[in-house]
Amino acid sequence: MSVINQRFDAIVIGAGPAGSTAAYQLAKMGYKTLLLERGRTPGSKNMFGGRVYLQPLKDIYDDFEKKAPIHRWVKKERISFIDNENSTTIEYESTKTTSFTTYLTQLSGWMANQAVNQGAILLTEIRVDKLYRENNVFKGVVVEDEVVNADVVIDAEGINRLLLEEANLVEKLKPNQVALGVKEVIKLDSNLINQLFGLDNNDGLSWVFIGNLTNGIPGGAFLYTNRDSISLGIVLMLEEAIRKLDKHIYKLVEEFRIHPLINKYLKEGRIMEYSTHLIPEDINSLKPRKLYYDGLLIVGDAAGLLLNQGYTYRGVDFAAYSGYLAAKAYDYAHNNGGPTSDNLSKYEELLRNSFIYRMLNKFSGVTELMKKERLFNTYPALINELASRLMHIDYDSYKIMEAFKEVKKGRISWLTLIKDLWEVSRKI
Amino acid sequence: MGLEIIVGIKWVPNTTSVNIDPKTGTLIREGIPSVVNPHDLTAVEMALRLKDRYGGRVTAISMAPPSAIAGLEHVIGMGVDRGILASDRVFAGADTLATSYVLAKVIEKIGDYDLIIMGHETIDSSTAHIGAQVASWLKLPYIYYAKEIDYNEKEKSIMVKRILENAFEIYKIKLPAVVSIAMHTYEPRRIKISNKLRAKMENLIQVWTSKDLDIDVNCAGLRGSPTVVSAIDFVPKVPRKNEIFNEKDPRKAAKWLIQKLIEEGLLDP
Repeated sequence: MSVINQRFDAIVIGAGPAGSTAAYQLAKMGYKTLLLERGRTPGSKNMFGGRVYLQPLKDIYDDFEKKAPIHRWVKKERISFIDNENSTTIEYESTKTTSFTTYLTQLSGWMANQAVNQGAILLTEIRVDKLYRENNVFKGVVVEDEVVNADVVIDAEGINRLLLEEANLVEKLKPNQVALGVKEVIKLDSNLINQLFGLDNNDGLSWVFIGNLTNGIPGGAFLYTNRDSISLGIVLMLEEAIRKLDKHIYKLVEEFRIHPLINKYLKEGRIMEYSTHLIPEDINSLKPRKLYYDGLLIVGDAAGLLLNQGYTYRGVDFAAYSGYLAAKAYDYAHNNGGPTSDNLSKYEELLRNSFIYRMLNKFSGVTELMKKERLFNTYPALINELASRLMHIDYDSYKIMEAFKEVKKGRISWLTLIKDLWEVSRKI
Repeated sequence: MGLEIIVGIKWVPNTTSVNIDPKTGTLIREGIPSVVNPHDLTAVEMALRLKDRYGGRVTAISMAPPSAIAGLEHVIGMGVDRGILASDRVFAGADTLATSYVLAKVIEKIGDYDLIIMGHETIDSSTAHIGAQVASWLKLPYIYYAKEIDYNEKEKSIMVKRILENAFEIYKIKLPAVVSIAMHTYEPRRIKISNKLRAKMENLIQVWTSKDLDIDVNCAGLRGSPTVVSAIDFVPKVPRKNEIFNEKDPRKAAKWLIQKLIEEGLLDP
């Protein structure tokens, strides 16, 4: 093993939103920073549904709204309860917006570029094989037979935590800790998207589906409008998917795409991309015991810092902000005697005082809720049947309570219904 | 001491993911990542092996837009010592003649060289012209489909083993000379992080414009390119059919298959 004679203040592993943002902030504060990416380009191992929340990124990057690769501003939100033939939809539309759609590879690439503009060195197609440790202090990374030294290593390797596993800091992922996201990107003319979904130029739609699209497996489906494409996909709790899914998962996405209520939008479309990724779910069990060690900080998905809010995920803003806080923590440690575990515990403190821990604590019950199959089967069917009774009229028509009693019958008791309603409104 | 080697690389769209626009007949390059032409990586590997054996220096050259710096960084990552990129708007739109002219001018300016190594051909145009044309501009001997090169320092010559369809030929050539390497001769070596860091931190890449080179602009770029692509024809798509004939008896199955092939006009009755 040969040690390279270049020495860095910080080595960041992984040029996704968390790593690129950490590198950006470190370089901006004047630290000699090396950003390592395994793929050919930053973000090439990243995947998400399609939407990013703006505010935390505005705090980090100057003029973010003007300069970042934003496709459409989400101004229309839909939640649909769907079965084979019916769907009941709640739609919210506003002239204001707090989120946007984009391609994550473009956004990660942009963030890594900001880091490079601040002086960070970005190397792509470099696979880190091991965290380099001397006397239990992390001192750099091992790439094949070479060691690169740094004062601090920031692990932003993502949900597939091979380095942290190797270093014995986390256990192997278990299926009950993660969900699986599967997505297709479908090319569609930008004007056609505007017409189909009733959008103005640069305005976007976020659409969530709850119902039997997931074969009764807890999870959901989504559709986002990009500039000139649609992202649509399915999220499944992995453990239940392994247990129950009797076909290849791509079939589920395919069934979703050709569902009569969806396919009508996609007739002119051409599939451009198919991708899949794990999503942190059970944060409490998946989070490393500690996020700071002597010479090491853990950020983003690797740290389990992603929020499932029930009807939406927040991943990119959480990841980027954790990278930002890690950079600040290193700065503090550097100015207070060095990156010891004690000094780097500043990171934990910054996380605790930020929206990240505040939100993770607030929504900590969601994962448990996601395992209630009733919410994904019984209720969507019930809502659709109720709507169908009220809306489909031949001679006689229903009163609301009359229709409701009829569809509820044999499905669910009043007591369970009220308990579920209470639980959902408390946890989400 | 050792060999001064120049190796040519081309920055090409990754043709495994390129489609052709059926209306205009041009490549759809939008969003297609570029790579170093894979056959050129074989040439780089040959150059590095010669350097490993005999010492010296390897210089990679390319004519391309500035984004090709990433390609030069890639081969420096493999162990190449430095890169020179000829990049200028007047070089744009070049065919192989105009490209080889600029590359020859780059090599002339480098001046001190023993051996010029090129890849077999490029994956985006497959002409295999550049090696021969560069040799011709520089009035140097040229040999292609090379598999092995041995260097004789005393004589300043190389023995080159070149592959033909059913045979090898061995040539002895005085240096300087141009050699292009048969595709798939070597697996290119992996990138080392120390080399990649050198590429980023040690200013190993120079960009030369037409002003840096002694160039007649009428011979470069579109103006210096006599080649005209008059049309592109597509290989007609053959619609696939499939039929399954479930039959345990191989005689009957074979008979059925032959009958089918006759019906399709693929076998004479």
